[in-house]
Amino acid sequence: MLAKVNSYALNGLNGYGVTVEVDIHMGVPSFEVVGLPDTAVKESRERVRSAIKNSGYDFSPRKITVNLAPAYAKKEGPIFDLAIALGLLISTEQAGVDDKKTPNSSVRDYVFLGELSLSGAVTRINGVMPMLIAAREHGVKKIVIPKANINEAKYIRGIDIFAVETLRDAVALIDGETRTPIETCDVVLDSRPCGGEDLKYVKGQFAAKRALEIAAAGGHNILMIGAPGGGKTMLAKCLPGILPDLTEDEALETTKIHSVAGLLDEESGIVSTRPFRSPHHTTSRVALTGGSSAAKPGEISYAHNGVLFLDELPEYPRSVLEILRQPLEDGVVSVSRASRSVEYPANFMLVASMNPCPCGYYGSATHQCTCMPSQIQKYMARISGPLLDRIDLHINVDEVNYDDLTKETDTESSAAVKARVNAARAIQTARYAGTDVHSNAKMTSEMIKKFCVLDAGGEKILQAAFDKLGMSARAYTRILKVARTIADLDGKYNISAAHVAEAVMYRSLDKAVK
Amino acid sequence: MVLSDLYLWLSYTHLPTRKINKILERMSPLQLWEAFDDESKYFLDDKTFNLLKRTRNIEYIERAKFYLKENNISYVTRADPIYPVALEQKEVDPPPVLYYKGDLSILLEPCFAVVGTRRASQYGRYVTQKIVEELSSSFTIVSGMATGIDGYAHRAALNVGGKTVAVLGSGLFNASPASNLLLFDEICQQGLVLSEYTPDTHATEYTFPQRNRIISGLCRGVLVVEAAKKSGSLITSNFANEQGRDVFAVPGDVDKLRSYGTNDLIKHGATPVTCADDILEFYSVNAKKSQPKTVALDFSEQRVMEALSLGEKSFDALVEHCGMTVPELNTALSALLIYGLVREKAKNLYTVTL
Repeated sequence: MLAKVNSYALNGLNGYGVTVEVDIHMGVPSFEVVGLPDTAVKESRERVRSAIKNSGYDFSPRKITVNLAPAYAKKEGPIFDLAIALGLLISTEQAGVDDKKTPNSSVRDYVFLGELSLSGAVTRINGVMPMLIAAREHGVKKIVIPKANINEAKYIRGIDIFAVETLRDAVALIDGETRTPIETCDVVLDSRPCGGEDLKYVKGQFAAKRALEIAAAGGHNILMIGAPGGGKTMLAKCLPGILPDLTEDEALETTKIHSVAGLLDEESGIVSTRPFRSPHHTTSRVALTGGSSAAKPGEISYAHNGVLFLDELPEYPRSVLEILRQPLEDGVVSVSRASRSVEYPANFMLVASMNPCPCGYYGSATHQCTCMPSQIQKYMARISGPLLDRIDLHINVDEVNYDDLTKETDTESSAAVKARVNAARAIQTARYAGTDVHSNAKMTSEMIKKFCVLDAGGEKILQAAFDKLGMSARAYTRILKVARTIADLDGKYNISAAHVAEAVMYRSLDKAVK
Repeated sequence: MVLSDLYLWLSYTHLPTRKINKILERMSPLQLWEAFDDESKYFLDDKTFNLLKRTRNIEYIERAKFYLKENNISYVTRADPIYPVALEQKEVDPPPVLYYKGDLSILLEPCFAVVGTRRASQYGRYVTQKIVEELSSSFTIVSGMATGIDGYAHRAALNVGGKTVAVLGSGLFNASPASNLLLFDEICQQGLVLSEYTPDTHATEYTFPQRNRIISGLCRGVLVVEAAKKSGSLITSNFANEQGRDVFAVPGDVDKLRSYGTNDLIKHGATPVTCADDILEFYSVNAKKSQPKTVALDFSEQRVMEALSLGEKSFDALVEHCGMTVPELNTALSALLIYGLVREKAKNLYTVTL
C-alpha cells in the first residue's frame, strides 16, 4: 500500500513542502530512499528501522521504497525521519487505520517534522521557526514538531502546532487522538543589558566610549585603532550592553537565521538581544558569508541586526575582508551554489580593531615605534580603501596610564548609556517610518539631502575641516551621517556647528593620511 | 671639441668623481682627450684607462647628447657659467656634469638643506613641516627626496609655494623610492631635481652617501631634524663640516633613538634649532612674518586652551581638568584643531601649537 505523509524542507530561509511517499512491494528485502537525499537523510533508514522496532511496531523484511517529492531538490538533514517512519507504519497498516483496517485520511491534514532517535523518541531539529512561518504562509493548518522545539515555535500564531515526544505520540495523533495545540505567546524581549562587559569598568577612554555610544545609536560601523593593550577588545565587548533594544520584527528575523544554523538557545527559543559575533581571523570566506553545497548562512548573517566584531582587522586575509563590501552596502548576501541560490539578510554593524603599525606603537605617546614608513604603509594597505570607505567612525584608542587605572572615579554604567542610545534610536525609527531604513548609518543619499541640512555655522566648520585637516571627499557624507546621530543623541532636530565639529573628531584616518 | 662635451665625456665614463677630479688636477680635459694615447697611460691604472678609452669617441658623445635631449633632461657642465658656484669648491669634489629637470636658477638664491632619518616620528614630521614652512620664504630648501624627513621637507616647501631642490642618489630615470614619485614629478614642475649620475644609473649603497656631499655643498647650512646613531644625515653633516658649511640640529628627548644623532651633533658644536627664527637670525635674514590670525574663541574653547597651555594633555586628562562633558570637549577640541591652535602630538595627546 502506498502511503503519503507531508513534511517540510528549507531552501535558505524559505520553506517548501515535501511529500514523503512510502511504498511496499514484493521482492528481495531492501530499504531505499530516493529523491536527492544527502547522507543524513540516507542514514535515516537505520534510525527509522530501530525507532519502529523499539517503539513496539513490526519491522519485518520487505522491499521498501521511500520517495521525497519534489525529487529535483536536494534534501538535507534528519528532519524527514518522523515522516518516513509514519509513512512506513501507514503502508504496513500499523497506523492511520481503524479497527477494521480501513485507512483514515487524518494524516493528510498534518505536516510532520522531526528526527528520530533509535529508541523511538522524537528529537530536536534545526530551522523550525522559518519552516513554521513558511508553512503558515502556504496555508498549512496543522503541523507536528518535536517537543524540544516548542520554545521557538510558541511565538508563531495562526497555525496549530502539536508537539510530540515519541513516535508513538505521533501515531496516536493520526489515529484520531484529540490533542490541543501548544499555547502561543507574545515575543518577550529581554531589555536587561545582556552579557559582555559593563562600561563602568572601563577606566578613562572617554573619547572612545563616546564614539561607541554614537556608533550604537546610529548603527555606524566603527574602527578602533590603537596600541596593543589599549583596551580595544574590552571596549568592543561593552558594545552589546549599550546597543538599542531589538524590535519584535528584528528579533524574529534574527531568530530565523539562528534557528536554521542551530544556534538558538533551547530555553528562550528566540534571539532577544542583538547578536554579537566575533569570528577569529582564521575564518574562511565561506564561514563569513555562508556557503557550502547546502548554502548555509555565515557569520555575517548570524550577526544580522547585531554586531560583527573583527578583532585585529589587518590579520584577516584580504579576500575575506573584500567580500564584506557588498553586504555592508546592501544588507543582504546572496549565496549561490551549484544546487541552489539563497539570499540571507546580513544587516550588521561592523566593529573592527587594529594596531596602527606592525609593532603597534606608531603615534603612541609612551612607546617608540620601530617600524619603517613603508612597513606602516604596507600594514595599512591591507585594508582596502573601499572597505574603509564604508566605516563611518575611526577612533584612536591609546593605552591608559597607571594613575587612571587605579583611580576610583564614577563612570557611567552601560545602562545609562543604553537609555540615551534607545532614545536616539526612537527618533530615528520615527523619522524613517515606512522605509527600509532603520538607522542613520543606512541613510540613502536622498535622505542625507533631506535630513542632514547644515546651518551656516556647520557649513563653515566643515569647510574649514576639509581645508585644514586635508580630509578626503568620501569623508563628507560620513561626517554628515555621524553629525545627524550626534544631533539625535542631543535630542535636536537641526544639526548645529557643534555636532559637525564633534563628528570631525571621529575621522582620525582621514586626518592622518595626507 | 667643446669643453662642455669633454666634461660630458668624463661623466659618461662612469668613473668615480673623485678619480676624475684627481686626473683633472694634472691635466685639463682637452689635454686628456688629445694626448690620451701618448702621455696619460703612464699615470692611469688599467681600468681607468680602459673606461676612458672606450668612451673616447665623438659619435658616442653626440649620441649621449641626443639621448638627453630626446628625454628632456637638461645638463650643466663645469664649463658652463651657470654651473653652481658653491660646488666649485675643492672639498665638495665637484662633479663634471649635473643632470637636472626643472629650474636651475633657483640655486642662485641662498640654499638651505633639511635632512633627517627615513624613519621619522610624528615629532620629526611636525618639526620639519613647521620649520620648512617658515624657512622657505627666505631659502631654497635642499634635500634628498628620501622617505621620512627629506620627503616631508620637500612637501612642506611645495605646500607653501617655496622653492625646493632634490638631489638624487641615482640617475634621473631611476628615482626612488617609488612612494615619492609623485613628489618627484611635482618638484620637477615647481623646483629642481638634480643628479650627478647619468640618467640610467641605478642607485647603490655608495651613491647615496656620495650625493650627500652635493646636498651640503649647495647650501649655506644643513639642518638635521632627526637622526639615529648611524644615519645618512650624519654623513651629510660631516660633509658640511668639511666644506665649511654651518650645521644645525633639532634637539630631542635624550632617551629617543631617533634623537641620538642630533643631540650628539649639538654636543659637538652644532647650533641647536627650535624654530625657524634660530636659523634666520643666524644668517641675519628678516623673515617675512605672516600676520598671526586671530580667532574668537568661545568659553569652552578658551578653557581647553588654558588647560593645554600648562602642558600637553591626553583627552582623558582634559576631561577631568576642564570638567566638561565628552561631547563638549570633543566639539571644542575639534574647533581648535581646525583653527590650527592645537595639534594632536601623538594618539589622543594634545598640545598647543607653537
